[in-house]
Amino acid sequence: MEAVTLVRIFGTVLGLLGIYLAYRVGRKRFVPLSTAETVVVGHVRLSPATLWKMLAFAALVAVPILTMAVANYHTFEGIHEVQACGQCHVMRPMITDMRDPASQTLAARHFRNGWIPQAQCYSCHSDYGLAGDMAAKAEGFRHLARYTTRTYREPIVFRGHFDNANCLKCHGGTPRFGAVKSHQTVWPLLEGSTMLCLNCHGQPHPTRAARTPGSPDYARLMEAAR
Amino acid sequence: MSQPEDGLDLSRRDLLRIAGGVAAANVLGAATWGALELMVPATADAWHKSVCRFCGTGCGIQIGMRDGRILDVRGDEQAHNKGVICVKGSMTRSLPYVEGRLLQPKVRRAGKLVEASWDEAMGLVADTFKKVIAEHGPDAVAFYGSGQLFTQESYVANKLFKAGLRTNNVDGNPRLCMASAANGYTQVYGKDEPPGSYVDADHADCFFIMGANPFECHPPIFERIRRRRAARPEARIICVDPRRTLTAERSDLHLAPIPGTDLLLLNAMAQVICAEGLLDTAFVDKHVRFSDGENTVDLAAFRKFLERYRPEAVEAELGVPAAQIREVAFLFARSKATMSLWTMGLNQRVQGVALNNMINGLHLITGQFGRPGATPFSLTGQPNACGGVRDTGALSHALPNGRLVVNEKHRAEVEELWGVPAGTISAKPGYDAVSLFRAMEDGRVQAALVMCTNPGQSMPAADRYRAAMDKCFLVVAEAFADSETAQVADVLLPAALWIEKEGVFGQGERRYQLVEKLLDPPGQARSDLAILTELADRLGHGALIKARTPKDVWDEWRNFSAHSYYNFKGMTYERLRAERGLQWPCPDEGHPGTVRRFVEGEDPFVKKGAGFEFYGQPDKRAVVFLRPYVPSPEKVTPDLPFYLTTGRVLEQWHTGTMTQRIPELAKASGEARIEIAGGDAWKLGIADGDRVEVKSRYGALEGRARVLPEGRPGMVFAAFYDAKLLINRVVADNVDPTSKQPEYKVTAVAVRKLEV
Repeated sequence: MEAVTLVRIFGTVLGLLGIYLAYRVGRKRFVPLSTAETVVVGHVRLSPATLWKMLAFAALVAVPILTMAVANYHTFEGIHEVQACGQCHVMRPMITDMRDPASQTLAARHFRNGWIPQAQCYSCHSDYGLAGDMAAKAEGFRHLARYTTRTYREPIVFRGHFDNANCLKCHGGTPRFGAVKSHQTVWPLLEGSTMLCLNCHGQPHPTRAARTPGSPDYARLMEAAR
Repeated sequence: MSQPEDGLDLSRRDLLRIAGGVAAANVLGAATWGALELMVPATADAWHKSVCRFCGTGCGIQIGMRDGRILDVRGDEQAHNKGVICVKGSMTRSLPYVEGRLLQPKVRRAGKLVEASWDEAMGLVADTFKKVIAEHGPDAVAFYGSGQLFTQESYVANKLFKAGLRTNNVDGNPRLCMASAANGYTQVYGKDEPPGSYVDADHADCFFIMGANPFECHPPIFERIRRRRAARPEARIICVDPRRTLTAERSDLHLAPIPGTDLLLLNAMAQVICAEGLLDTAFVDKHVRFSDGENTVDLAAFRKFLERYRPEAVEAELGVPAAQIREVAFLFARSKATMSLWTMGLNQRVQGVALNNMINGLHLITGQFGRPGATPFSLTGQPNACGGVRDTGALSHALPNGRLVVNEKHRAEVEELWGVPAGTISAKPGYDAVSLFRAMEDGRVQAALVMCTNPGQSMPAADRYRAAMDKCFLVVAEAFADSETAQVADVLLPAALWIEKEGVFGQGERRYQLVEKLLDPPGQARSDLAILTELADRLGHGALIKARTPKDVWDEWRNFSAHSYYNFKGMTYERLRAERGLQWPCPDEGHPGTVRRFVEGEDPFVKKGAGFEFYGQPDKRAVVFLRPYVPSPEKVTPDLPFYLTTGRVLEQWHTGTMTQRIPELAKASGEARIEIAGGDAWKLGIADGDRVEVKSRYGALEGRARVLPEGRPGMVFAAFYDAKLLINRVVADNVDPTSKQPEYKVTAVAVRKLEV
């Protein structure tokens, strides 16, 4: 079983446990609790008061923290994985194409040549630093909302602005990049992403026409991902 | 209300609390979503589809506008180029805002160009044209146009001069770049324009690139070829070019023939194909006819003709080893699909038509035709040389849709379609480009209108023809005030540029695309169409030019085309607005356009069951010509020991009137230099950056040298974009006898170091 699935199951169980415990603690009348009595939990003898305090601690502090940690991992780390993007079927053409050894899109070439070993979608689609992460996640949330409410239309269209920093962080300082004179003269435009690297260097994903339901490419791109 | 001591029972209040919590969470989520939907990252206010202004690739672009200005230009993912453009196309964002625009008409008074009103300028033009026609006849005036005018503009100019003024003196810069390709296609298939499309590059296994440098001149196409190469380990890129160009460096095989000899290579390849059993006899038997140019001959005669071109017999003169010729012939014939691409290296030659015949012939004898990836394809240099000039017949020998001036039936058809009396169109072909400027030299042409081109820099033997222009009453419609041609104008008319007007561009693969107006022209500049219609009115031919708007002219033209195999009647303005261009033939509004011509199931004119049908020829067979190699008149001598060739660089386009004004491009290319091989430079004592003189039979000029350690010995090269190194001053003006295209690629020169 994949790590993402395990994290999901674990997170769900934790969440349900936390709710259950919180509810039990919240409903418990603590007046008659006596320290004289003992409760056996496994090999440990506890007074009911201690047990309920521990349960209360677990319900109100430990489990929520753990749940948040797991949810955080899932939301902020697990979502970096290609599988996470692939959950929405509208993303399947991009992923199928990326893994197609015959494809010549930028995504496929980067994948095939191992230039981006993991989290391929996220690596190119999150801008630099915390703000970049936040923006990517906010965009992911928007995608999720659109997808779950079915308020989208295929072929989907990239909205906004692709940041050249995603290309330049690897290519920017290389001798091959520097050898192209026009890279130097248009550098201010590239740096500010007011001229896209993609203009000259290719098609990143399957074309809109190929991703349109009904096209022969669409069936192929959707089929292979399943 | 009693509370349960334990258990999971919920009270109503609990339920309401939980429901409230869920509702609050939903509202929060929805509000966040809504906010994110509204937070559209800042790009442009609106994006408009358009077409790049520069080369014949005709890339679809998206222009982002904000506050009435261009903010960004990107490749159009939905266009044929799939979103890929080049650095020149990317910089079209700056094009409308460059300095040096011509803002007001100017007329020459006492030797100086002074500002004038449109009325004054057009009045002077019309009066002079009328006077010249009255005194010397209509053949004393001329129109010299461009593969950069919109189709509507070239169509109207052609109609005005041929059916209005009754002269066939309508030519233009496509004569300098595409005439040999157009003649080559017409002779072979009976119809001009490439049979295949750019999409064939996605299917080819062998790319035979000859006399072209697409890495620099058609970058999106070469990018496509490289992608195909990367996806197919068995695919090969073969480059034939005397220079080690950036394309050659990125090819699998580079053949470097001696300049001017490469018909030997094509004939030798044909010889190997015939001798080694690589001929596709089934295709040849059914679809091919052989001709020696005069008479039909048989395959045996073709084989016999080729005997003298055995690789071992030609290798010394050609400069390519026989083994390499054999290897390339085999790859060409036996690859699953071979696509050849060529441009000026073949076209700008005294044997340009023969070379074009033969490269098409290689496809026909090997059956590398009409399948995905198997096609001959001549690349085009300008955005509208094909659609605007070749297809409208805006050349001195031609009439619209492949008709000829000398053909009585063709003249009668055009006269009827234009609604002019029989006999209106002269039977005498007009002056081709070189002849036109020679006619200015000796006074046979006394007034000419030059539109959207810069012959002062682009003509070969430029000093001679600049002097000729000086003698003529030259009206120049131009976007820039100081081009080399503007400097010799008698009247300068400020012209709108690119998206400052509206019209159709037809690029290299028969695709017509609409360029919509997005900006107002600066100053008093007007569209070339407006200038032509006003000239028509002032010359008394207003009634002939009934259609006045780009849409009306287009509608007239597409209806005209329905009477030919070009038929693109189905390309309505509405479709051109909505779609990313359409490829003709496209006879009705439901037709998707034609990717591959002469192929059953794709081309609407091919009959069912025919497989292929070359309907332009009387016997429906394509013609393979027997074209003997004739050495160029520009042979090197002890006094002129180097071959000079010219060309382009990645960041510059044509004569640089536009790209030189865009700082990012101008800085990247720097000044043009005279490139010389390391060994030759050493012998002449020339170091990199030294001042040198290049001298030919046609002129001399000085410039700085760039020494290429790995350059080809015996050859020098210079790009022609830089007016400060106006290399065309030394370039030969020999022309192909059929196409009349000059041989820019072969000039014998001497080089010497200048003492500082």
